[in-house]
Amino acid sequence: MTGSSRRSPHEQYVSCNMTADRNDLDGSRDLTTLPPNVHLGHDCFVERKDSFARFRSERDPGVVLGDRVHVSTWTEFSLEPAGFVTVGDDSVLVGAIFMCAGDIRVGKRVLVSYQVTIADCDFHPIDAALRRADAIAIAPEGDRTRRPPLVTRPVVIGDDVRIGIGALILKGVTIGNGAQLLPGAVVTHDVPAGATITGNPARVVDDQIP
Amino acid sequence: MKLEHDWYPADLPTAVSIGERSWLYSSYAFLHFASEDPRAVTIGDDTGVYVGTLFDLGSAGTVEIGRYCSIVGPIISTNARVTIGDYVLIAHAVVLADDPFATPGMGSSSSRRPRGDIVIDDGVWIGANTVVLGPVHIGTDAIIAAGSVVDADVPPGATWAGNPGRVVRTGVNRMD
Repeated sequence: MTGSSRRSPHEQYVSCNMTADRNDLDGSRDLTTLPPNVHLGHDCFVERKDSFARFRSERDPGVVLGDRVHVSTWTEFSLEPAGFVTVGDDSVLVGAIFMCAGDIRVGKRVLVSYQVTIADCDFHPIDAALRRADAIAIAPEGDRTRRPPLVTRPVVIGDDVRIGIGALILKGVTIGNGAQLLPGAVVTHDVPAGATITGNPARVVDDQIP
Repeated sequence: MKLEHDWYPADLPTAVSIGERSWLYSSYAFLHFASEDPRAVTIGDDTGVYVGTLFDLGSAGTVEIGRYCSIVGPIISTNARVTIGDYVLIAHAVVLADDPFATPGMGSSSSRRPRGDIVIDDGVWIGANTVVLGPVHIGTDAIIAAGSVVDADVPPGATWAGNPGRVVRTGVNRMD
């Protein structure tokens, strides 16, 4: 990898109508180009600018990352206008997809592995009639102001939690300190502190990862 | 070496070899590549490695892919060995890893010891959103249903599904 300060004309490539600026893709970009309501602690690392491509929060702050938070390439902050996400110091987000219309709070020293989805909302109504109204409102030329209100319930993830590959955490879930979610766990209920949870639907298991 | 069609301005690592008539979408696949093995990644002839695939290999990590494979964007995160045979299909959003809590670029022989190799035999089909955790051996012609977690060996010809995963259909005789 070359340093970030020097840029040759060859570092800008155009292919298939897509531009690739290496600095937007490998973490060497100036982080002050992120939206102003994204607040970063000291020594944060954000690998890919497009992690904020679907960031639409109108709150200030909309995202708060603590000190030394590491955000790897496939992480996505997909926030609705009312969304707010906070991540504690020394957490590592490898591939966290935050789908947030309310509040998602992640503690300190949390590890989130590849392709983990954390959502505080279903983003559509459950009721069949409301779902049809929603489908009409979100059509390409629909009137989004006619969408039924979104139901959100905060997600709270404690300190020192480890979240395995491909896990899915849904609205209203609180995960206690030190818990671990094994790969592919689909979590719809609270997880006690220190517990290990696995499966779809997820349940607590006794065996610990060595 | 550079890929002619590459949109990402990096060279391929020298430890990567690609066979005849094969396709690799971009050098971006090696964003987190940290293997020190001189033959870390070998891709056989007539194989496609498509957009989104990542070789997040630690210092001891290696990947060998055979012929006529379609590798459609998995993340391969290991500090051990991954061996993929011929005629293998790997769908979208699959993760092959040697650790349930895998992270990229943190592999080093001292801090992250190999947990186990992954062996995927000829003709295996791995469905979308599957997680494969080494050490594990998936036998010839087995099918892994979409959304599964594979944390135990799968017999040849079997169909594996679910989380927790299990064999839902046993072996089908091969035509050989």
